[in-house]
Amino acid sequence: MSDNAYAITTYSLSKRFGRHKALDDVSARVPRGSIYGLMGPNGAGKTTFVRCLLNLINPTRGSAAVLGLDVVRDSVAVRQRVGHVAALQPLWEWMKVSEFADFMAGCYPRWNPEPVSAVLSRVGIDREARIQTLSRGQRALAALAVAIGHEPDVLLLDEALTGLDPIARREVLRNIIEAMHAEGRTVFITGQDIADMERICDHVGFLVKGRLLLESTLDELKARVKRIRVEHPADASPEIPAGALQVDRTARETIFTTRDFSPDLLTSLAGPNRRLEALDLSLEDIFVNLAQQNTEAAT
Amino acid sequence: MFDTINPKSAGPIHRQIGDQIRRSVAAGLLVPGDKLPSVRELASRLLVNPNTVARVYRDLERDGLLETRRGQGTYISANAAALAESERRRLVSENLDAAARDVHAFGLSEKAALDLFREVLANRRPQPEEER
Repeated sequence: MSDNAYAITTYSLSKRFGRHKALDDVSARVPRGSIYGLMGPNGAGKTTFVRCLLNLINPTRGSAAVLGLDVVRDSVAVRQRVGHVAALQPLWEWMKVSEFADFMAGCYPRWNPEPVSAVLSRVGIDREARIQTLSRGQRALAALAVAIGHEPDVLLLDEALTGLDPIARREVLRNIIEAMHAEGRTVFITGQDIADMERICDHVGFLVKGRLLLESTLDELKARVKRIRVEHPADASPEIPAGALQVDRTARETIFTTRDFSPDLLTSLAGPNRRLEALDLSLEDIFVNLAQQNTEAAT
Repeated sequence: MFDTINPKSAGPIHRQIGDQIRRSVAAGLLVPGDKLPSVRELASRLLVNPNTVARVYRDLERDGLLETRRGQGTYISANAAALAESERRRLVSENLDAAARDVHAFGLSEKAALDLFREVLANRRPQPEEER
């Protein structure tokens, strides 16, 4: 695929804070029109990644492009085509929602008040309310509404769902899905709630300790990473393929996770008096399996 | 008509949505000519990626269960009625397959298994006053 097929590309993006490697050689590709979820534990480097894209901090090494524009050299152009919502974004407490929207409108050469009003009225936020009177969920929704006023091609949502109660989270998810429907808009979202991400993302990246462990379409990932269960006679346990994770053996049963599933794998494990089963894993299980393996490898 | 989606269940979300539509057709809750929600509506109702819903509709259209009328939307196709019969058999046989594996794994005799199934069937038989 040409670079044009990607909304975001990074090349060996690295960021150090002193001796701490916040981002370590991250080469990520976010296809246009996708909802891409960057997942990882606290401190994995997710926010640093987003801040690099917005040129709020400079990478130590490597580069990044949004819609083919270099994030450092063309940062002004990038900002005009990107909408950004950060978790617990400090909004001006004393402003009315309408004043906040007007203020943001002034920051962009092009502004369409319609999608902003559409979101605000859909979620029932009074434009004349002061921001300080809004709940946490309403703030997130107000920030999301205002983030699409300049009709960005890319939405960067940094922990936009984190810390919200379940009802607010659903409302934000629904509005992300609605916002995505603008033609070809790409949504890049970071977070920790893997179940929410699995709902809406079609592409996922796992960031652990600043490294991009894996990047894939969700479907491919789920087709490749599976839990294999073999029942066998007590004296005939199967040979476990190299690279297997989370191996669990008892006398008559062997279970492990493969990151490279194929029908051939089952054929190779078949044998007399054996029963084989390949089980799907949830994204959360996959993440835990892969993240643990990475920590073990590091120690 | 559409149930909720459980992202924590291991099966892919597109399969969950597809199965719900197939089950509804098999059970006669959706019949030829019924209109399905638009991709946008269903994505937003189930809180899933619109691309996923679009893909489910595409797959079911390929299988002949749905048809898209240009500019009007997605409908249950005319041959869905014929497919419903094979869907019913397929869905039941899928469930029986899981039971059959347990029967063999636990070393139950086939006769015992069939007796058991007859008993379960009888217990589940709809009572006349509860008929739909």
